[in-house]
Amino acid sequence: MRAPIVIIGAGLAGLAAGIRLARGGRNPLIIEQHDKPGGLNSYYHRQGQLLETGLHAMTNFAPPEQRHAPLNRLFRQLKLSRKNFITHEQVLSEIRDQAGNTLCFSNDFNLLHQQILAAFPEAADGFTRLVEVIDNYDPFTPAPWCSTRRELRTFLPNEQLQNLLLWPIMLYGNACEDDMDFAQFVILFRAIFQEGLFRPAGTMKNFLDLLLNHYRALGGEIRFRTPATGLITNQGQVTGVKLANNETLACEAVISTAGLRVTRDLLATADHGADLATPGGNISFFETIFLLPGAFRQILAPDRTMLFYFHDTFQHRMPTTAVDMNSCVVCLSDHFQGIATGETCQVRVTHLANYDLWHQASPSEYIAMKGRYARESAARAETLIGAFHDQVLFQDSFTPLTIQRFSGKERGAVYGAPNKHKDGCTPFANLVLAGTDQGFLGIIGAMMSGVVMANQHFLAGADHAA
Amino acid sequence: MTPEAIKEVILEIIQDIDEDADLASLKGGLPLRDQLDLDSMDFLDIVMELRKRYKLQVPEEDYPQLASLDSTVAYLTPRLHDV
Repeated sequence: MRAPIVIIGAGLAGLAAGIRLARGGRNPLIIEQHDKPGGLNSYYHRQGQLLETGLHAMTNFAPPEQRHAPLNRLFRQLKLSRKNFITHEQVLSEIRDQAGNTLCFSNDFNLLHQQILAAFPEAADGFTRLVEVIDNYDPFTPAPWCSTRRELRTFLPNEQLQNLLLWPIMLYGNACEDDMDFAQFVILFRAIFQEGLFRPAGTMKNFLDLLLNHYRALGGEIRFRTPATGLITNQGQVTGVKLANNETLACEAVISTAGLRVTRDLLATADHGADLATPGGNISFFETIFLLPGAFRQILAPDRTMLFYFHDTFQHRMPTTAVDMNSCVVCLSDHFQGIATGETCQVRVTHLANYDLWHQASPSEYIAMKGRYARESAARAETLIGAFHDQVLFQDSFTPLTIQRFSGKERGAVYGAPNKHKDGCTPFANLVLAGTDQGFLGIIGAMMSGVVMANQHFLAGADHAA
Repeated sequence: MTPEAIKEVILEIIQDIDEDADLASLKGGLPLRDQLDLDSMDFLDIVMELRKRYKLQVPEEDYPQLASLDSTVAYLTPRLHDV
């Protein structure tokens, strides 16, 4: 048997790539440093509760009959039943700035359009033209970086409106500070505003189990608690993966979802060329999960799913304080259509955060900072959804360090490096990038990245080595 | 394999990719992708399945020859002669 195609990382990109390779009769082996799959979108248990990491909502909602929508193409490619995949759509989400400007959006794009017409009538024509450009844009073909700020200024006269539209998009997927690549903007505009937000039925664990069982049923192999420590190369090819236990896995090829910089570090002493040198990302988060009695579901903004808030000075960048209290997103995890009221409900509040300041803190400072910022975060959220903090049953916060520790994302940079490698290519012919640094975003995007990279590099055309 | 048997295999593969595909009204001479609403990723699955089942390698430059059901059967007949 041929040596396996080793996939580094059992996040959503790695699992999807593995399923495709296994379906295609190839021989995938996923190695994962953590003891659970999911990467950024995983889960853990505290006090008998299963808590999710990462997931606020999945983007790219589409009903099963929209065959060419990304969600449904993805399910066909993975050979998973879309009809048996139960989804709960968002109720309504709101973007709000300090001055009181608001825009609501749902999974019906017309609502956002009407909201813009009502609040910013002078932008009506410009917005229509912007949507036309987005509808006709190909964001997947490699192209030079293009400023979204500059593009938006040509369509929308009003900076408030630009910021209102940008905030959820940047928060849910922009690795750059202050501005973003227009191709990434197009991907996320479609995913969030034109397609929409939903949750799968059950928990993230159910979804990950579905993928993992499917992968194994197709013959795919996976090893947990197996960090890669190096890549062995010979004459422009990767020939092996070194593991922490000093074992070396011979490989036919490697798909790395570990990010560009971590992948470059794995190549260590090998000659990896300037192509892999890239600045790291700075966008990381501080998030607190507040668990409340179930009755709060009817009390706290019962008709809202997400609330995106920002201060008058709009900033999507690493803050100068450990946590940026000037902006946040509040996710009411139970406020999706058709989710039954349970004994408890959750409020998740997320802010931009500064990795360095968390990293520099002593262990006692770190704990004190977590408590203090969780209280400030609750107070900020209470101004948006009403009081809840004195009724919290349980709360847990994660910081950029937590993200780095469990997901392997360098500096907790959830969206990876600002520069994306859309073709997945590296200086090594059989080393391919997938996931965050390849450039597709969100849970559905990450999975599509795994699928597309597996297709383009290993399944299309003749397999000359077979 | 006979051309008839190859045609059956192709239809079976398509049905497997898309359980809702309307194969009864399929016209052999017209492009599959237009009639069945397949996209390029679905199309790749046909090629992938042929490789898995028959170890048949279809190079990318030959993909246009798999446009319609008839042209696919014509392309595959000599290549699956001994299967």
